[in-house]
Amino acid sequence: MKRSLSAPSGLWLVALPAAAIVIVPVLAVFWRTDWSSFLTSISNETSRTALVLSLRTSLVATSLALVFGTPLAWLLANRDFKFKSLVRAFCVLPMVLPPVVGGVALLYAFGRRGLVGARLDEWFGIQLAFTETAAILAQFFVAAPFFILVMEAAFDQVDRRIVGTARTFGAGPWRTFATVTLGLVRPSLLAALVLTWARALGEFGATIAFAGNTAGRTQTVPLAVYSQLESGGDDALALSTLMMIVSLGVLIALRGRWVSALRRGGQ
Amino acid sequence: MSLEIDCQLQRDKFNLEVHLTVAPGSVLAITGENGSGKTSTLDMIAGLLACTTGKISLNDRVFDDSTTNQFVQPEKRGVSTVFQGGGLFSHMTVEKNMIFGRGAAFRNTPRFDSAVEQFNLTGLLSRKPSTLSGGQRQRVALARAFLAPSEILLLDEPTTSLDTTSRDEVRSAMKTFFETYNGVVVLVSHDAAEIAELATSVAQITISRGENTAAVLRN
Repeated sequence: MKRSLSAPSGLWLVALPAAAIVIVPVLAVFWRTDWSSFLTSISNETSRTALVLSLRTSLVATSLALVFGTPLAWLLANRDFKFKSLVRAFCVLPMVLPPVVGGVALLYAFGRRGLVGARLDEWFGIQLAFTETAAILAQFFVAAPFFILVMEAAFDQVDRRIVGTARTFGAGPWRTFATVTLGLVRPSLLAALVLTWARALGEFGATIAFAGNTAGRTQTVPLAVYSQLESGGDDALALSTLMMIVSLGVLIALRGRWVSALRRGGQ
Repeated sequence: MSLEIDCQLQRDKFNLEVHLTVAPGSVLAITGENGSGKTSTLDMIAGLLACTTGKISLNDRVFDDSTTNQFVQPEKRGVSTVFQGGGLFSHMTVEKNMIFGRGAAFRNTPRFDSAVEQFNLTGLLSRKPSTLSGGQRQRVALARAFLAPSEILLLDEPTTSLDTTSRDEVRSAMKTFFETYNGVVVLVSHDAAEIAELATSVAQITISRGENTAAVLRN
C-alpha cells in the first residue's frame, strides 16, 4: 500500500493525451529540423529581414504597452470611475477575439477609409494600413491586454497601507508610485513584459489583415513562416524551430511565474 | 498649541465622531474594540482619509477643514507612522527603509548612527524586512519614524502579534523614543500594561451598535 491519500484512479490515462497533443508537435519540429542547415536557413535574406522586423516591431509594441498600459492598469486597480467594468471588458476583448477579426477591426478604424484613418489621411496625409506601424499596432492590439491584465492584478495586490506609509514619510504621489509601488510590483512587471513581448512576437492574424504580408516591410517571422509553407520553401521549419526555442526560453526564464502572475498578480 | 481634532467620518452604516486635543510632549493612547474606528482616526490625522465633516489642525496649521474645503496631503503634514506590522517596504533593505525620503547622504550622519544604536539595529542594515523577526521589524519601523522630521507620531498597535520577549524590547525602544520626542504622540493599543507604561492620557472609543453603528472618541 502506498502511504498517501488516494486520488481518483485512472486519471493518467485520460490526462496523457492532453499532454501528448501539446508535447508531440514540439518534439516533431525539433526532430525534423535539419540542424546542419539551420543557421544558413535562418540567416538568408528573407529570414533575416523578417527576424529583424519582428524584433523591432515586437519591442516597440511592448514598449507602447508598458508606457500606456501601466497607467491604465493602475487606474483599473485603484480608482472607481464610470463604466470601469466596460473599459476593463474592452481591454481584455482582444484576448478572446480571433486575431484576424482584430485586424479587420483595425482596418476599419485606421485603414485609409476607416473611422479615424480617413481623417488621418485627409488632415495629415498619414496612411497607417499596410505599413510597419500597422504591424506594430496589430501586435499592440493583441498583446497589450496581457500586460494590462497582469499589471492590474499586480497593482491590486499592493498593500494600500504601505503606499500610505510612503506618503506620510514625505513622498508625493508620483515618488511613491516610482519608488514604492513599482518596486513592489517589479516581479509581475517583468513577467508581464516578457509575456507581452512573446505574444507580440508571435502575432499573425491581426498583422496579415491590417498590415499585409510585404517582405521587408510587414512580413514578420510568423508571416514569413506562412509564406514559406505556402510556397514550399525550406525555411518554414527552421524559422518555426527558432520561434519554438524563443518561446521555450521565455517559459524557462519565467519559470512558471507568469501563471501565478496571471492568477493573482505575482509577487 | 496642540493637535486639535473635531470631526466626523461617515461611511455606509458607520459613523465615527472624534473630539481630541493632544499637546506636544504628551502621549495619548486610544483604545476600543476592533472595528470601532481606531485606525480610521489615525488615517484622518495622517491624511490618508478625509473627514466627512469637521476640522483637524496642528497649532495654527489647518490639515483638513470641510467648511473651507482645505485638505493637506499626507506628505505635507509632518507625520511619521508606525502602522500595524511595521509598514516596511519589503523590496528595500533595512537601511533604505530607514532613510526613505531623506537621500543617500543621510546614512552618514551621526543621527543615523545614533538611531542604529538606540534601536539596536547593528548588523541588520543590509537585510530585507522578510528576513527579520516581528520584533526586529517593529524596531526598524520605530527607527524610521524616529529619523523622519515630524511633529506628530502615530503608532497603530505596534506590539500586537509579538511574542513576550520582543514585545518588551519594542516597548522599551518606544519608551526611550517618546522621552526625547517633542511632538504629539498618538498610540493605538489594546494592551493595558503598555498604556500604563507609555501613555500620559487615555481615550476610549465608545460604540453603540445597531442598524447604524455610532462610535465616539473624545478626551
